[in-house]
Amino acid sequence: MIKSNKKNQNIKVILIYIISIIGVLWSLFPIYWMIKSSFTPDAEMYQLNPKLVPSHFTLDHYKDLFTETIFMKNFVNSIYVSVFSTLIALFFSITGSYAMTRLRYKGRLFIKNSIFFSYLLPASVLFIPMYIMISRVGLGNNKNALLIVYQTFIIPYCCYMLMSYFTAIPKAMEEAAFVDGCNHIQALVKIILPIALPSIAVVATFAFTLSWNEYLYALVLTTSPSQQTVTIGISNFKYSDTFIWGLIMSSSVIASLPAVILYMLAQKFLKTGLAAGSVKQ
Amino acid sequence: MQNSLIKQEKKLGYIFSFPIVFLVFIIIGLPSIYTFIISFTNKRIGYSYHFVGVDNYLRIFKDPTYWLVLRNTFIYTVSCIVLKLVLGFAFAMLLNEKFKGRGFVRVSMLVPWAIPGMVAAHTWRWMYNDQYGIINVILKNIGFIDSPILWLSDRNIALISVIIVNIWRGIPFFLFSILGGLQTIDTQLYDAAKVDGANVVKRFLNVTVPSIAPVLTITTLLSTIWTFNDFDNIWLITGGGPLNASSVISTYTYSTAFISNQMGRALAVSISIIPILVILLIIANKMIGSNESDR
Repeated sequence: MIKSNKKNQNIKVILIYIISIIGVLWSLFPIYWMIKSSFTPDAEMYQLNPKLVPSHFTLDHYKDLFTETIFMKNFVNSIYVSVFSTLIALFFSITGSYAMTRLRYKGRLFIKNSIFFSYLLPASVLFIPMYIMISRVGLGNNKNALLIVYQTFIIPYCCYMLMSYFTAIPKAMEEAAFVDGCNHIQALVKIILPIALPSIAVVATFAFTLSWNEYLYALVLTTSPSQQTVTIGISNFKYSDTFIWGLIMSSSVIASLPAVILYMLAQKFLKTGLAAGSVKQ
Repeated sequence: MQNSLIKQEKKLGYIFSFPIVFLVFIIIGLPSIYTFIISFTNKRIGYSYHFVGVDNYLRIFKDPTYWLVLRNTFIYTVSCIVLKLVLGFAFAMLLNEKFKGRGFVRVSMLVPWAIPGMVAAHTWRWMYNDQYGIINVILKNIGFIDSPILWLSDRNIALISVIIVNIWRGIPFFLFSILGGLQTIDTQLYDAAKVDGANVVKRFLNVTVPSIAPVLTITTLLSTIWTFNDFDNIWLITGGGPLNASSVISTYTYSTAFISNQMGRALAVSISIIPILVILLIIANKMIGSNESDR
């Protein structure tokens, strides 16, 4: 009995490792291939029988990327758009979420519901009218238009997350502050913000990556390379139908770095699921 | 004193909500209404336009391409969701076990979700390349195929190719949401079931699944909405081709609007799927709403 139990245990451990290896290979192989390709010389890359491990190593693709293309400009644009759209979203989401979770006024529930609907309203429905509207107000082909348009998904996302965090903070602490003569703004700044700071940091991380990864709006709203972000910059590395894979792969590696680093930093907060706020535990 | 606080509360409530209301009803709301109106016109960029009634709608409904695209969208959404759910669940069960190296597996499996979607799309497009792509080379070397698979240009395969990439990128979302759910299950429930003589399968069906049912529903709904509207993945890998074989509503809308320059018609395509979206949204709202009131 005990012996067979131990045997079962061994089989289980072996199974766990087999599935783990499959999972890791499946998840990481494309990443490996992207990084590998970015360091492989063209001559070897365009061989009919590519090898899993490169026999030559080159930095040419990166050198070309930084000296011969305007990818650095795209990168700076991405940083600009992501940082500022996140900051704008955070400001309005913090005040908005505070109002919707702590203040009593008419129409609160209605606003809450409308945020939820806009959180799930996809860009694929809105991109054409956005394009027309943005051209009308004279912001066509201007990266600053993205700062406004990205709010359509970042603010609903941030509000959604922050409202659930704010609800979890006990009201007693603010009530004590009110007795001491604090008003609501002071309560928000002195009580709520310090407690919610770690959650706000996580929300900011995800807001940043949402904006960093955005493709469709950037595709229709910016047309000249000097206004474009990395997501579009990478797709520009082709002559008509011929893709310049060396540049595409090296720029992909660079474009992945900020998001991956932020995700890894936020990883330990992901225990309750990627949807943390929406699927709150 | 108390009175002035309440007064301030109302005033501040309106001030703080104003930007949100502006966003939802002006920045999002106006374009939505505009979409609806333009879908009844023959708008093209650079030309004047006039109302054509329901002409755009009649045309798209008569167009076999529209139905092909709609069919593709459903195949894409359903197969992606089912496979992401099953595989995400399986890997979540795996990562819920304690074993050496779990941390590494966990971080590795998060990576596909962490990298930008368009990076994933480009990388897979390169791996799918029929001359230099690594996937065909591997399949050939292990004797799986004789001639290269035309991942991107075979009409019967292109849709499968983009489905694979969506699954690759989407498993972590299911995995980590479900894992979060699994970790909240009280182990005493399993012990009780064991005492009652329930075997592994019964414990899974009677304890595991019911305990994480809310998480499963919400994760599936959110992912369904995202997958249904996925653009980047398909546009960057196949461009919807060959001959619309892998085209879905979002890519079809884009190419109708910006490549064929038929805005009015493209918007009619957009509007035609709104009922499906609204149903999904209402279910999602109900599910999440009822889930919150439980607490």
